[in-house]
Amino acid sequence: MGEDQGKSTGTMPLLEAWMKSATEFWASMANIGSISTTSGEEKPQQKEAQKSRAQETLESALKMLGSLSSAAGEPETADSIFKGMNVFPGMMSKIAQTAWETYSHFQQQWMETAGRAGSRTEAYKFDDLDKDVFRAWSELYEQEFRKFLHIPQLGLTRFYQERMSLLSDKYTIFQGIIAKFLHILSLPMEKSFKVLEEKVASLADEGNLPQDPNDYYKIWIKVLEGHYMVLFKSPEYTKALGETLDAMEDFLLVRQEMFQDLMQTLPVPTNKEMDDVYKELYLLKKRLKKLEKEHSTG
Amino acid sequence: MSQPKIPLDLILENLAEDAEKSTKLARAGSEVLLSQLETGIATTPYDVVYEEDRVKLKHYRPVADSKLRTPLMVVYALINRETMLDLQPGRSVVEKFLKEGIDVYMVDWGYPTRKDKFLTIDDHINGYMDNIVNFIRRRHNLAKINLMGICMGGTFSVIYSALHPQKIRNLVTTVTPTNFDTDQGLLHIWMKDIDVDRMVDAFGNMPGDLMNFGFLLLNPARLMIDKYVGFFQNMDDKAFVENFVRMEKWIFDSPDVPGETFRQFVKDCYHMNLLIQSKMEVGGKRVDLKKITMPLLNFYGKYDHLVPPGACELLTSSVGSRDTEDVCLDTGHIGIYVSSKCQREFAPKIAGWLRERDEKGKRTKPARTKSTIKQIENIMKANQEK
Repeated sequence: MGEDQGKSTGTMPLLEAWMKSATEFWASMANIGSISTTSGEEKPQQKEAQKSRAQETLESALKMLGSLSSAAGEPETADSIFKGMNVFPGMMSKIAQTAWETYSHFQQQWMETAGRAGSRTEAYKFDDLDKDVFRAWSELYEQEFRKFLHIPQLGLTRFYQERMSLLSDKYTIFQGIIAKFLHILSLPMEKSFKVLEEKVASLADEGNLPQDPNDYYKIWIKVLEGHYMVLFKSPEYTKALGETLDAMEDFLLVRQEMFQDLMQTLPVPTNKEMDDVYKELYLLKKRLKKLEKEHSTG
Repeated sequence: MSQPKIPLDLILENLAEDAEKSTKLARAGSEVLLSQLETGIATTPYDVVYEEDRVKLKHYRPVADSKLRTPLMVVYALINRETMLDLQPGRSVVEKFLKEGIDVYMVDWGYPTRKDKFLTIDDHINGYMDNIVNFIRRRHNLAKINLMGICMGGTFSVIYSALHPQKIRNLVTTVTPTNFDTDQGLLHIWMKDIDVDRMVDAFGNMPGDLMNFGFLLLNPARLMIDKYVGFFQNMDDKAFVENFVRMEKWIFDSPDVPGETFRQFVKDCYHMNLLIQSKMEVGGKRVDLKKITMPLLNFYGKYDHLVPPGACELLTSSVGSRDTEDVCLDTGHIGIYVSSKCQREFAPKIAGWLRERDEKGKRTKPARTKSTIKQIENIMKANQEK
């Protein structure tokens, strides 16, 4: 500590000299500025009146710098600066520590999220893998990732950012649901091949195996049609169809709002504006037709 | 030596033969596909005699002396296009009608755009349809005309006839859904659960392509696989390819359905089944099926998976007319109009039925009036007492 003190006192005269010269420099700059504006034959009052706002601002800034330099040149201030310089390494290390802790906290959160992603499917179990994939994905997204898209937005552009986040959210949900729906649609195909295998095996046992390859196709397409009929009549399918349509409609509605934002910046009418015009036109035409009818019958 | 269980040698032999046939077929098929094909649809000559917004009225040029005093107005559904009734020369309902001496008018609903999304069922029925009926009545100086509806167009025709019975002489409904509370067709099962408000809010108009995709999903094995396997197997047959392409052109020519019309149709019909109960309201008026007092001929397909018999067959017993007839053909939704067998039965049956009732209604049985209904009720009551 004593050593530090000694070092600081050793540099003090140098700092004082530098501060003094800086003060003189800013004062002379201010003078040059005012001399250049008052040169010529015009009266001082006229010149004063004609001073531009830019000049005034420059002068005021130079004066402020001058005063700051002069204040900084005072021995007490210089001392305080040196004390501050001594504290600087400690402050930097504190900021770094806080930043590291925050980073570690977020990293831990992400690791936990990733860990939970792993725990949503059973290891080395592939029986229900296809079903589980969609369930795990939707659970993972809804419980772990979705909340990040719902962080409240701040500031002037908050509504636009919110709509962008909502679009990402609805798009991700729609993608997950449509993948599940397509998977359901592929199930009859998968099952029909299994049934075909069984049928062929039983026909082989009976010794009635068709010789024409077309006959196999006919058996398969009939089985496939039957499986689709069973699937389509099931409440699970109706539910999946409803969910898919709902997700698609949600996505389209949010996408429309996003486009609305984008279109507003272009010199073209938006869908919403056109719909208002169309509605007005529709009502006017309806009224006109009614009046025409009344007029022709009356 | 015993016979093997699996005649592998024969199967392989057939497989090799098939591979050879397929190669020949592909070569011949490519020649057919690269040749000049006649795939035009709706080629029967007509004039557009009335236009309002996107809607047009086609009047087909007569080819024979008119045998009917009353012209026939045909109303197609808002889903797909009326060109199905005139797919190709020799397989055209319109052509058959003209040969039978019927003066044919057909409504072409056009392609709704975003500006049409506010149009309701009322606008279609009490607006466009009524204006067209009045136009034909004025043109022929007649008080009444004949009306024929197809699918949703049939439902519109039923509603129109109930609201304006004084303008319709005879009503023909074909594959027309009026009872929506049935589990016979997948469409009826699925439609019950859809959130139509959300759908219309999201899409504006109901996209034709989305509806077509839904129709394909009704039987993907046949409509998305087997159909094209059949095409491949017959691609060396020019006439087959031409017919196939014509049908493809028609199937995938799907205009959007105006949003508000779709919303009301799904809610009032599929969700609440109001029409058959005479509880539906259009343009502020209740659609009372008992007001359908004109003769009614009702066609439907036994194997129709879109509008099953259960959705069609209650109509004749729900209307006020006593001159009604149900005709169930052994075919599907489209087969009624395009299959060769039905071509022989369908149009001639309608022409004959209309002819019978055309001579100022001389041979038409009287419609049920309040007094006749009272008489029937008295007779039934007396029978019950006995």
